[in-house]
Amino acid sequence: MSDFTSLAELVINGNYNGAKDLTQKMIDNGNDPLEIINQGLMAGMNVVGVRFKAGDMYVPEVMMSAKAMSTGIELLKPLIADKDMPTAGKVVIGTVKGDLHDIGKKLVVMMMESAGFEIIDLGVDIDPAAFVKAVKEHSPQVIGLSALLTTTMLSMKDTIEALKEEGLRDSVKVVIGGAPISQSFADEIGADGYAADAASATELCRRIIA
Amino acid sequence: MRKIRSNSIEQTTPFLRWVSEGQIEEIHFATLEVLERTGVKVDHPEALQLLKDAGCIVNENRVRIPSWLVEECLRLAPRKIVVANRKGQRVMPLEKNRTYFGTGSDLPYTIDLETGKRRRSGKRDVERACRVMDFLPNYDFVMSYAIAADTNSKVSDLHQLEAMVTNTTKPMIVTAHDEINMRAQLEMAALVVGGKEELRKNPFMILYSEPISPLVHTNDGVGKMFACFEYGVPVVYTPGVLSGATTPVTKAGTIVLMNAEALAGVVMAQLKQKGAPIIIGGGATPMDMKTTATLYGSPETMMNYAIMTQLSQFYGIPNFTEAGCVNSPIPDAQAGMEAGNGILMAQLMGANLVHDVGYLEGGKTGSLTFLTMCNDYMDNARYMGRGTRIDEETMAVDVINEVGPGGNYVSHEHTFKHFREEIWSSKQFNSSFWEIWEEQGSKSMEDKAEELTKYIVATHTSELLDGGIREGLNEIIAETEKAKATSKR
Repeated sequence: MSDFTSLAELVINGNYNGAKDLTQKMIDNGNDPLEIINQGLMAGMNVVGVRFKAGDMYVPEVMMSAKAMSTGIELLKPLIADKDMPTAGKVVIGTVKGDLHDIGKKLVVMMMESAGFEIIDLGVDIDPAAFVKAVKEHSPQVIGLSALLTTTMLSMKDTIEALKEEGLRDSVKVVIGGAPISQSFADEIGADGYAADAASATELCRRIIA
Repeated sequence: MRKIRSNSIEQTTPFLRWVSEGQIEEIHFATLEVLERTGVKVDHPEALQLLKDAGCIVNENRVRIPSWLVEECLRLAPRKIVVANRKGQRVMPLEKNRTYFGTGSDLPYTIDLETGKRRRSGKRDVERACRVMDFLPNYDFVMSYAIAADTNSKVSDLHQLEAMVTNTTKPMIVTAHDEINMRAQLEMAALVVGGKEELRKNPFMILYSEPISPLVHTNDGVGKMFACFEYGVPVVYTPGVLSGATTPVTKAGTIVLMNAEALAGVVMAQLKQKGAPIIIGGGATPMDMKTTATLYGSPETMMNYAIMTQLSQFYGIPNFTEAGCVNSPIPDAQAGMEAGNGILMAQLMGANLVHDVGYLEGGKTGSLTFLTMCNDYMDNARYMGRGTRIDEETMAVDVINEVGPGGNYVSHEHTFKHFREEIWSSKQFNSSFWEIWEEQGSKSMEDKAEELTKYIVATHTSELLDGGIREGLNEIIAETEKAKATSKR
């Protein structure tokens, strides 16, 4: 078995100590850092994605695989120029104003990070102005809005309006989610997409960025 | 005189204990440790001050609650909370081992009774659900069932209360967006029963408010609760969790964390007002590790509720739990199993307020037909809960002797006298022979329940509210709407 295959296997098994050690060994042996990511760490994570979708792997296992991948990436980052770092895209995310519920959004963050997205998590109770500020600061391709309460989901519309007022609406895609949210609500407030759960949020972002 | 057996125990109802008294104490001590060591976050200024003054260690909004204070507050909390109906009849005494069923609140979707299609819920769904539950005898209390999503969302909770009080006389549990709306609802409730004094004497309404797991007590959640205590209105203060996401994945860890959140609520309540009527418990649901869905109808929830009910019986504080809420998206065989299991467990354990009955799709979709089906599940569970009567009359030794070998019992007076209480019978369940069933239209239980539901919706209305009161309710809603439009919240 090649080191690349072994590394992918360690990621699939969520063995983060093993993934860290092998990544270091491969660096020491002079392997190309980008190849270690693409053919080792990401290759493993891609298998995880397929297995998760098929129902053969579960969320906590995906989390552990993501942890294994990121321990490797931490070692490789200093060796790669920022612009060469592979990423699936940049996403700003937060739970909207008046809503303190965190877990649904957290799940989306973790699933998307494990799929190679760079995520800026603003937290909970985020007002439209704070979303606008974050879009200006980070220039993400996507902004994700979360709400659990039917009373706060209207703040999603306010956020979209605020982006329009600042002339930022065309530069960023807006996706929304949460228990009371539906595709028809997304259409109604002019969002670019809706996802019912964390896994489909990842796919949605991949699709609208491509 | 009846000849009795001496030195003997008679058991009227089945006796179900999930864990031992010692294990319940173990959970209690672990809970005290969480409150004293980790503490909770409290975002309500008055509560924070009360906790500080009572001897808690407070750093900014992190509060560590000493064990002695928790135990003192547990002693102050009432062991009995009587809830009345709209007419002031004290129909629902919340005491240890008395079980009441009702639905839940705020379903975003409804399967339309006429078209069979799933659509967004509206105020009419709240009205209809309340009429259906007003009619069906095994619903002891109501919640809004649906969200009145077609009303102004800033006051949709007020519209829900209006729909509830005008369509049923049964006791109700309400939800509120925030403290302002809670106060408006309390005014509405007082209006319905003829004043604050009457509401305090015979509260017909309970608030459902919640901490956010793990261990966060919000300004709105606590504020709503405190407002109710000012009016003598009882409060359910319980978390809804996702085991493995917002609590430890282990059942025991989930129970300890939820209990810590509930007991922190008990402490705040008793510090606010000695004897404040607070109800503990919560929704102890795991996360589906494949789909991240909340598993309401799962075996784990029922196992957790069994222990949480024992805990509430140990504390002598009424509890709020859940059953008849299923993950199946439609009222199918899976739904029947999920609902039946939970309802039976809740009944046998003697849980107090059992809510969410008649929910589909993990608490996102409602169906009046399923609500009606659950009435028979509850009937069945209650029947079993009543237990098996063992005495001379029911052991029927005389009758057996009279009939003798080779005779029959069907025409015997003993059968005539007892069959109705000894054999459960349901109008909705199918039990006829195949040919007869075909003759009668090959209807499934769901078909029959749908027919009954349509009949109830077409014919049943609850005792009407006085026209002046209805006007008053709408005035309060309009005033609150106006105040909200200017206050920006």
